[in-house]
Amino acid sequence: MTDIVVKLFGPVRDIVGEEEFHFKVSPDETAATVFEALCARYPDLSRWRPVVRLAVNLEYVQFNHHVSGGDEVCIIPPVSGG
Amino acid sequence: MTEVWEKVQHPSAGGIDLFVGTVRNHSSGETIDRLEYTSYVPMAEREMAKIETAIRSRWPVYNAVLIHRIGMLNVGEIAVVTAVSSSHRNEAFEACRFAIDAIKLSVPIWKKEFTPAGGIVVSSAEHGSVS
Repeated sequence: MTDIVVKLFGPVRDIVGEEEFHFKVSPDETAATVFEALCARYPDLSRWRPVVRLAVNLEYVQFNHHVSGGDEVCIIPPVSGG
Repeated sequence: MTEVWEKVQHPSAGGIDLFVGTVRNHSSGETIDRLEYTSYVPMAEREMAKIETAIRSRWPVYNAVLIHRIGMLNVGEIAVVTAVSSSHRNEAFEACRFAIDAIKLSVPIWKKEFTPAGGIVVSSAEHGSVS
């Protein structure tokens, strides 16, 4: 399986106008390359790069975290709960 | 709140600290009358559980209750509660403070604040990233 699900939340969901995407990943895909692919499609997203966190399968990860088919990647803008 | 109280109580507890976060009527210099919390619930629940684990590893806590509401809330309503019971008050104060600070840092919950006219208030975090 080479498909992943990418989910957007909060202000980045509002900017892009979509909550969920399906991507096909390549063997050396990382959380960063997934985010960059999304930025290529939605340039307004790039300015969030300094402040977003990425999560894979419900856990925060470093940008260079390897992503495989079946994973779920979340784009997490600065949280504002509490 | 009654349920929170009942859950946090413990017969060996000498101190119970309770923090309540409420919706305030101003933000970024604007008047607001309601806000909406959205969340990635499965991940938020995991992060809240991790915070409870962290509390228990650092302080001798009997019971801990961490709750965050999502959806539309009006000014004055309760948004978040952290409650901790411990033998003594120092641990209860510290653990309770840690809990709310940790929730604000890591739990995937986002607020959108609305002015009475229905406008959306943009927070300083967004200003920072947009400029």
